[in-house]
Amino acid sequence: MKYVTTHENREILIEILDEHHVVVDGVTYEVDFESVSGEPVHSLLVNSRSYEANVYPSEDGWQVLLRGALYSFQVEDEREKRLRTSIGGRLGEHREYHLKSPMPGLVVSVPVEDGQMVSIGEVLVILESMKMQNELKSPRNGTVARVRVKVGDSVEQRETLLSVD
Amino acid sequence: MFNKVLIANRGEIAVRIVRACRELGMQAVAVYSEADRHALHVRYADEAYLLGPAPARDSYLRGDKIIEIAKKSGAGAIHPGYGFLAERADFAQACIEAGLAFIGPKPSSIMAMGDKAVARKTVAASGVPVVPGTEGEGSLSDEELLALAPKIGFPLLVKATAGGGGKGMREVQNLEEMPSLLNSARREAEASFGDGNVYLEKLLEDARHIEIQILADTAGNVVHLGERECSLQRRHQKLLEESPSPFVGDDQDLRQRMGSVAVRAAQAVDYVNAGTIEFLVDKDKNFYFLEMNTRLQVEHPVTEMVTSVDIVKEQIRIARGRQMRHTQEEIQLSGWAIECRVNAEDPYNNFLPSTGLISHMILPTGPGVRVDTGVYPGFEVSPYYDSLISKLIVSGETRGEAILRMRRALEEYKIIGVRTNIPFHQLLMDSPRFIGGQYDTRFVEERFSMEEAEEGKENMTEIAAILATLVAHYQTQRAAQIIQRNERDTSNWKWMGRWERLHR
Repeated sequence: MKYVTTHENREILIEILDEHHVVVDGVTYEVDFESVSGEPVHSLLVNSRSYEANVYPSEDGWQVLLRGALYSFQVEDEREKRLRTSIGGRLGEHREYHLKSPMPGLVVSVPVEDGQMVSIGEVLVILESMKMQNELKSPRNGTVARVRVKVGDSVEQRETLLSVD
Repeated sequence: MFNKVLIANRGEIAVRIVRACRELGMQAVAVYSEADRHALHVRYADEAYLLGPAPARDSYLRGDKIIEIAKKSGAGAIHPGYGFLAERADFAQACIEAGLAFIGPKPSSIMAMGDKAVARKTVAASGVPVVPGTEGEGSLSDEELLALAPKIGFPLLVKATAGGGGKGMREVQNLEEMPSLLNSARREAEASFGDGNVYLEKLLEDARHIEIQILADTAGNVVHLGERECSLQRRHQKLLEESPSPFVGDDQDLRQRMGSVAVRAAQAVDYVNAGTIEFLVDKDKNFYFLEMNTRLQVEHPVTEMVTSVDIVKEQIRIARGRQMRHTQEEIQLSGWAIECRVNAEDPYNNFLPSTGLISHMILPTGPGVRVDTGVYPGFEVSPYYDSLISKLIVSGETRGEAILRMRRALEEYKIIGVRTNIPFHQLLMDSPRFIGGQYDTRFVEERFSMEEAEEGKENMTEIAAILATLVAHYQTQRAAQIIQRNERDTSNWKWMGRWERLHR
């Protein structure tokens, strides 16, 4: 199986030959891969060198925490890669942004209202969790829409709080 | 004298106090909220009593209920730990009135040091230098503060008079932004301490935060246990502490001068039990009194490691009316200790708190390693309390050995289920500025970024890419097998249709 694994615009071609052999950009490595069932902890031996990492799924790919550094990847097989290239990856700017709660918490303040223009970096919601007040800011310029929370609400993780069109 | 201690706290510090009780042969009584039935302090204690619902105001802040439980359980003393009721003079007073020993200072000392503005005035009167600011004015209105600000000069700090731990604290660069910052500081102070009063203090630049641990007994003996370097902070929250301070280093004269000033500040309020005097130290080694914490500190273990004094056991002995076991001459600092605060925070996402079930955990062990924690695999980290889940402390003969040991221990430490700031500490241990001891209170926020720190590191992109690809590959394979397994009862096509509808 052939994959194109992308890290910050660098495309790495990885072919999984069998359980113990992978080819990375044309170079074959002997690997041994083990996981703890149901956990994001993985042990990998590459030509007998031992690595341990946490691998998490993220919004648009995978995050690998390895020896104190975090790497983000998109992993696509060749068909997915072709598909995406033909659509063109230009969705970003025009899509509306849904502000999701990064953690469970209590809404302390909503300094914006429906229809209000906001600019990048402006505070949309202040959320209190673990005794800290966290300012959730707008990642773009736009108009606030569909404010779904008010001061005093308890929110769950990943709950949509409001949108910026 | 009491032989049973109620611990009015939770988390790692409650566990720490249970341990001290055990070693002294005393009974430990735990209290817990509905969110903490499974917490380690409940499991370790001899007795445990439910306080109420999860929010602190309904549980760990219910002083009346805690005193009632102490009476009912036959505990003779209450140890407040840090946070919650630890610095509430009214609670200490209520304990005494109920005939219970409060393991901490007298209510009058808490009161004097608790109002930060009054504290500055009190110690200044006894000849201790303080940072310029609005001293001893009591509560000032926004208008009065705005009028005083230009006289103190910018940048300055707005601080909660009832404050601590960076809550209700804001940095102000100019007069224009001050009103909104005053507003948010008051709001946070009100939420954290039930008191929205604030005062102003000049912001010293290139300053270090160095504090002195003191112990005082009822016979009037006061000793200091050397300093702790606490300059590594983010949003005024300490992240890493060490003892001794690399800035004080071999300067025994500075250490002694700071120590004796700390002792004098404690004596100014007739202090008993363990306390900490915080100083700001500028680059010319001038030091200024910042505040006194009238309680056990989170970072007390680094002092324990270098002095061999068990501070929590000393606290209990002092509360039992015993004299301290050590004179100033007997206290010697030996070796080096570093503590990393492990918080449930995602260092790659603006240090936002992370909650969830800890599914898996491997603790670092081996020579010179100590872990103080209240969590274990299967424990749920809830959003109700602060994000500190563990303290990793190492000691070594030298600072160099301690740093290398901390690197090793951080690599061993695995916590799965919540994101932690362990990667932050790992990068910090590799930072040349940290290794050289060249840092001040602004270092983490202004001159340290996760991205830049990672840049210089050995690049493992390809290894990480193999891992990501293998995980993705096996996940796809597993998903395919789930579909195949069901071919017995219905056709694959039908099943595919259902599966797709389900996942639409």
